[in-house]
This record gives sequence, structure tokens and C-alpha cells, in this order.
Amino acid sequence: MNKLTKDRLGGALLLATGAAAVLAGSGYGLGTLRQMGSGFYPVVLGVLLALIGVVLLATATRAPDAHLATAPAETAHLAGPVVQWRGWLCILGGALAFVVLGQHGGLVPASFVSVFVAALGDRNNSVRDAALLAALMTILGVVVFHYGLHLLLPLFQW
Amino acid sequence: MHDSLMQLMYGFGVALQPENFMWCVFGVLVGNLIGVLPGMGPLSTISMLLPLTYVIAPVPAILMLAGIFYGSQYGGAIGAILLNLPSHPPHAVTCLDGYPLTLQGKGGTALGITMMASFFAASVGIVVMIFLSPLLVQAANSFGPADTCAIMLLGLLAGATMARGSPLKGVAMTIFGLLCGAVGTDEMTSTARYTLGVTELRDGIELGGLTMGLFGIADFLVSVNRTTISPSRARVRMRDMRPSRAEMKQAFWPMLRGTGVGTLFGALPGTGPTITTFIAYALERKWSKTPERFGKGALEGVAAPEAASHSKTQVDFIPTMSLGIPGDAVMALILGALIIKGIQPGPQLISDHPDIFWGLIASFWIGNVLLVILNVPLIGVWVRLLQVPYRFLFPSALFFIAVGVYSTRNNLFDVVIVAAFGVIGAILLALEFPLSPIVLGFVLGPMLEPNFRRAMLLSRGELSVFVTRPVAAGFIAASALLVMVQVMAWWRGRGKVV
Repeated sequence: MNKLTKDRLGGALLLATGAAAVLAGSGYGLGTLRQMGSGFYPVVLGVLLALIGVVLLATATRAPDAHLATAPAETAHLAGPVVQWRGWLCILGGALAFVVLGQHGGLVPASFVSVFVAALGDRNNSVRDAALLAALMTILGVVVFHYGLHLLLPLFQW
Repeated sequence: MHDSLMQLMYGFGVALQPENFMWCVFGVLVGNLIGVLPGMGPLSTISMLLPLTYVIAPVPAILMLAGIFYGSQYGGAIGAILLNLPSHPPHAVTCLDGYPLTLQGKGGTALGITMMASFFAASVGIVVMIFLSPLLVQAANSFGPADTCAIMLLGLLAGATMARGSPLKGVAMTIFGLLCGAVGTDEMTSTARYTLGVTELRDGIELGGLTMGLFGIADFLVSVNRTTISPSRARVRMRDMRPSRAEMKQAFWPMLRGTGVGTLFGALPGTGPTITTFIAYALERKWSKTPERFGKGALEGVAAPEAASHSKTQVDFIPTMSLGIPGDAVMALILGALIIKGIQPGPQLISDHPDIFWGLIASFWIGNVLLVILNVPLIGVWVRLLQVPYRFLFPSALFFIAVGVYSTRNNLFDVVIVAAFGVIGAILLALEFPLSPIVLGFVLGPMLEPNFRRAMLLSRGELSVFVTRPVAAGFIAASALLVMVQVMAWWRGRGKVV
């Protein structure tokens, strides 16, 4: 992705978010400047956000920012495309597994599955590595959070 | 003067209480560790430890969070000097001369000089804070809602434009943060805003959920299968760290100048830590009679930026503690933790909670001394820890995030929020948006809106109140100036590299 595409996508994203905020916000009642309704402040923010989106779209250029040139980018040590499908799927899957299994299973299965699934997101982790890490974190989690900090989530529940 | 000394003694009494002292040690240790680790900044660590602050008292909670912040500064320098890791932007400039020194076998000396400069600069910053804060509080007592709004506006703009990258994108992220802060029930009318029909969102978005998503999960998403950091085998012995007399002399004036730069820019809004260290470095190179040594292992190039970074860190606490208006995202998080503990930030904080303010100041000194002492034996441990591969690090961190965010409200829905903000953060990072202004907006938003409404109510809907009240007008003018400077810099810098 070059700078031009990034800025165009970014501008469009801001415009859409701002527009959505204005649309939903105007339903909360605008009121007057003296007696503001619940919608006034968020609608103002939405308008500003959409405006910045338009400016970003209009000024998108290929040239790098002066600011970026002086400081090394945060992601300088990274290589490859941003969206690593396997990684994203496993990390988000791990987080959601914690939610679902926390509700219908308890702390132990939730811990094990979430770490296991997330670890599989890294191409260099074998199933065995992931399972070992998950088991280790589950034991640690039970000791620290359940017995140590008295987390409310029960060890097992259905 | 006498009064401040008495208060300071009282502060030491607070900070040395066993519980407070223990959490302060814990904070600086953790901060130190994560400062060395690439890809983990004070923001992600403070967010991950935020749930812990719910179960401990306010004073130790704040001491711990602050300890993480300045502890990570020391760690960042270690990573930069020994491993050439620019993972913490303010210390990126330290790599330029620090790593060559390591290659020449003088890494220990560089670290020793860094610690000396850091400690000196932090001490100056603390003294400035002691004397400046009460003055600011005095002024702040006469502020009305319009004045507070104007100050917040300047704070938000400064926070937005100091982040790396395009200032315009920074402002956009601040507004996005303000919008996130508006989610939930409007206290004045009880209208539920932007809750998407989800009951849990009626109480608003949980601070820990937002930050752990943005600075934890988003980072994993961006880094997974992409990190190329190779472990280093740098070794430092204790006796290597004592600089010689000649080296001390060489670093003395750069240290003083760096401290000056950091203190000055810490007090000026609109200058981030990264810019500050770069300015300190540039100044040193300009000042030097032998500028050609820079970049090849000049001690001055290590001492000045590190001193600047540390004095700025301390001075940063002034507006946060005395006005209740944070200058950057880390300060916003610390302020958010105070609010969660039921402590109202603002000019009354110092008089209402002297234990927090003076305890914090005293803990700065204690923490800095601890860091200097601990750094020596711990550097080796940290360097070894760096060899824990990322593929084990991120699943474990994900687990701690999930449990931590659940424990804040005993609500699994907050884990969904974390995942959602993880995706949002990763997309924004990919599009080169800075993330830290979001936190600033998110924390300040719920204070900005009621103040704005009250100001408008008092002025009967006249916006002119922002230019007729002298304080408000001053801050509005400063905000306008800041925007103008940025626009001009952008206009001149189009296409070429400054």
C-alpha cells in the first residue's frame, strides 16, 4: 500500500465514521447552543471528523510526510503484508473463544483454548508448542487469578 | 519554599510506607522490563496493569503507574544502546550514537552516562514540578467552565499534533477518541448515545478495554508473523558502567543542555517526547566542535537526548496533576486511573489529596534511585528475557489482557470490546494514523462536554465568551497559533523532507 492509497482509504474511513456519527447523533436531539441536547456535542464532533476526512481525501499525495521522515516509523521492524489472515483469525478467535467459553465452560477451558488458538496464529508454532504454552498459561492463570486474586469467573461452569 | 520542603518531607513519609514503596518498586521494575522489550511501550503496559489498580488503594496505584512510565524510559535507553532497537520512538535517536559505542565495546560506559544524565535530568524536572505546580493551581482557582474548555482544547490539539505522523491525522484521532468518550448514557438527559442497542454500552466504553485493544491486540495483529527482531548477545559487566573522569567531563554540558531542552519543551504544549529528544541531539551536534563524531559513537549524542527525555517526563506531570489536563496519552491513562478510583482531577487535587501529589513527587526520587541501583544487575536479565520469542509472548499477553479486562467489571462483554478496538487499532495503524490521541480524547471528552455545556448555559449561548474572558482567549489564541504553525509547516514541507 503506498501513501496515496493509505490517505485515500483513511480519508474515506473518517468521512464515513463522521457521517454515521452525525446521522445517529441528530436523533438524540440537538437543542440550542444555550440549552444543548444530547445530540449537539456528538454531531459537532461528527461534522469535524467528516471535514477532516474530506481534507485528507483532497490532499492525499504520494510524497511522504516531513514528520515521518525524521522519526523512524513504528512499524519499521516489520515485513510483509499487514493483514496476516492466519494471525488475525487466530488472535481474534482466541479472544472470542475466551468470551464464549468463559460463559459456557469456565476459566480453565477458556484459558486453555484462547491461548492455544492464539498461539496457532504464529506460523512457527506447532500444535504441540501451542498446547504446551496453553497448558502452562492455564496453570499459571488458575494459580494467580483464581487462588491468588480471587477472580469471580469459576474454574468450571455450564 | 519552607512550606514546599515540609510538604516534600511529608511526601517521602507517604512514599516510604511499605505498601506504597512496594508498588512503586513493582512499577519501576515492570516499566524497566517493558522498556527493553520491543513492541511494548508504557501505554500497553499501563493498560494491562490498569485492572490491578482497581484492587489497590489510590496512592500505591498512582505510584505504580507513574513508576511504569519513567521506568520504561530507562529500559528504552538500554534497548537502544545495547540492541539498536528503536522500538521506543523517543529513544530512537539514542541508537545513533549508543549502538556504535556498544560495537566499540563501550556500551557499559554509554549506559553509565545515560543513567547519570537521566537521574540528574529527572531531579531537575521534579524540582521544577514542585515549584511550578502550586503557582498553576493558584491561577487555576479562578477558572470558569469556558476557561477550562479552552485549556482542554489546547491540550487536545497539542496531544494530537505531537504524535508521530501527520498532525491532521492526529486531530482526526483525537476527535474519534472524543466520540468514543461520548458513547453511553448522557448524564444530563439520560439519553443513551451510540450504544447500538447493547445494554453493556450504556455505562460507556471501559477505559481498560479501549486501551488494551488499541495498544495490545492491535499490536499483536500488526506484528504477528512479521517481526524480524533477532536476539542480541550483548553483555555488560558492572565495572564497565563506571565512566572515567574524562568521559564525565565530556558528557557534563550536553547533560545540562539536554535537561534544559527537556524542561522547556515539557512545559510547552505541542512538543512530544520524540521531537524533544531529536531537538536535544541536533542542538548538541550543532554545538559540538567535532560534529563529524556524531553517529559514530559520541557520548554527547547519548547524554543530551536521554537527559531531555527524562526531564520532559517529569515536567509532563505538572499540567496533569495541577490542572487535571493531561498532556499526552500516558498522562491521560494515569488521570483515567485516578478518576476510576473516585478522585476528581483538577486544581483542587493537591489540596484535597496531598498524599497523592506529594507522595508521587517523593516516589519519583525513590524510583529514580532504585532504577539507577537496579539497572546494573538487571540489564543482563532483561537482555536474556529479550530472547523469549514473540510467538510465545503474544498468546500469553492476549490471555492476560482477556482476564484483566474481564476482571475490571466482571463482564465478558468487555473482552469483545477489546477485540473490536484491536481490529480498529490495527486498521488505523496500517493507514498510518497515530493511536495515542484517541486515549487523550477518550479521557478528556467526558470532562470537555459538561464544561462546554455549562459555559454555554452561563453565557446564554454566546460563543463570544471564549474571546472575552482573558484566560479563555489566551488559550484559544495559543490553540490557533499551534494550528497555524502546523499548517505553515505542512505548506512549506510539501514534497520535501525537513
